[in-house]
Amino acid sequence: MPESSIIRFLSVMAVMLVVGFGWFPIGLARLKKQGVDESAARTQVKQEAKKYSIIAAFLYMVAMVSVAGLFI
Amino acid sequence: MKMMYGMLMALTPAALWSIYIFGPQALVRILAGVVAAVAAEAVFQKLTRQKITVKDGSAAVTGLLLGMAVSISTPWYAVSVSAAFGIIAGKQLLGGFGKNLFNPAMFGRLFYLFVFPDSILPWRQPFDLTTAATPLEVLRETGEAAGVPIHEMFLGLIPGTIGEVSSLLLLIGFAFLVYRKFVRWRIPAAAFSVVLVLALVAGHNPLFYFFAGSLVLGACFMATDPMTSPKFPKGQLIFGAGVGLIIMLMRWYGWQTPGVYEFTEGTTFAVLTMNLFVPYLNKKFKPAPKK
Repeated sequence: MPESSIIRFLSVMAVMLVVGFGWFPIGLARLKKQGVDESAARTQVKQEAKKYSIIAAFLYMVAMVSVAGLFI
Repeated sequence: MKMMYGMLMALTPAALWSIYIFGPQALVRILAGVVAAVAAEAVFQKLTRQKITVKDGSAAVTGLLLGMAVSISTPWYAVSVSAAFGIIAGKQLLGGFGKNLFNPAMFGRLFYLFVFPDSILPWRQPFDLTTAATPLEVLRETGEAAGVPIHEMFLGLIPGTIGEVSSLLLLIGFAFLVYRKFVRWRIPAAAFSVVLVLALVAGHNPLFYFFAGSLVLGACFMATDPMTSPKFPKGQLIFGAGVGLIIMLMRWYGWQTPGVYEFTEGTTFAVLTMNLFVPYLNKKFKPAPKK
């Protein structure tokens, strides 16, 4: 596999991880503030974090493919 | 489950045709997609202690669609990695079949376009596998929707991705799916209608736009995925119209990765973008309960 492909692959993973783990404390705090039970909030935020990380990966890949042409 | 096996049957004629015109290398890519998708789903479900559901056929459909949506020049490992990514990130992370936001095959294809862009080229001519431009590349260069006989595009005698070339066999497969009521026909109907209108407005032959790229494969087999398309008729029409509109805009104006590849087709972007609106369309166009 070419080096540039490995870098691109790792960059997608990085975006997904940053958004997923980044959203977790934000979403949890938001739900707790709304009075949602801790365990229910954790389950809900986990699902939200996964969803946002996938959307972020989509937006990132589209942006890179369409305008930037990075990592070549 | 029946629907997924119906989908596999519907795609088989076009897949066999691609193996006939592009040779055994097409079979290698198709198998790489199917095996990787099924294996990725099984391994992920095993590791996360879920019930293994590969027998439902949905992973095989994802792998087959992805294998058919790559160029013959693409290395097999690029197809495998992309199929595995599509299954894991596009489907399993959110809880598996029925809970995914994006079409997994299209998500895998976007990953393929991003991670392996230089592996798409060169496009190859059927049978002799000489390097050639696709009809949409000719359109982009000349600005004219002509030059390639329509019947060659319809029958599948043009360069393109492995499974998109024969519109005839794809449409036969789609007719089978409609007959068995396995797909939402309004989506491709709306997509084709928008393409027809825009082509006529531009003064071009609409048949060129129907058969030149991956419109048939994308609109009939990918946009109609029941898990990632709207449930209700009005939503389906808007979804399909959006797919058709984005495809045409991409074909005319395109996006490019500078120095690597200029995208002359937009099915992947069209389907994935419209997937984002599905929750809204389902909510907005939910029919009122009958009194």
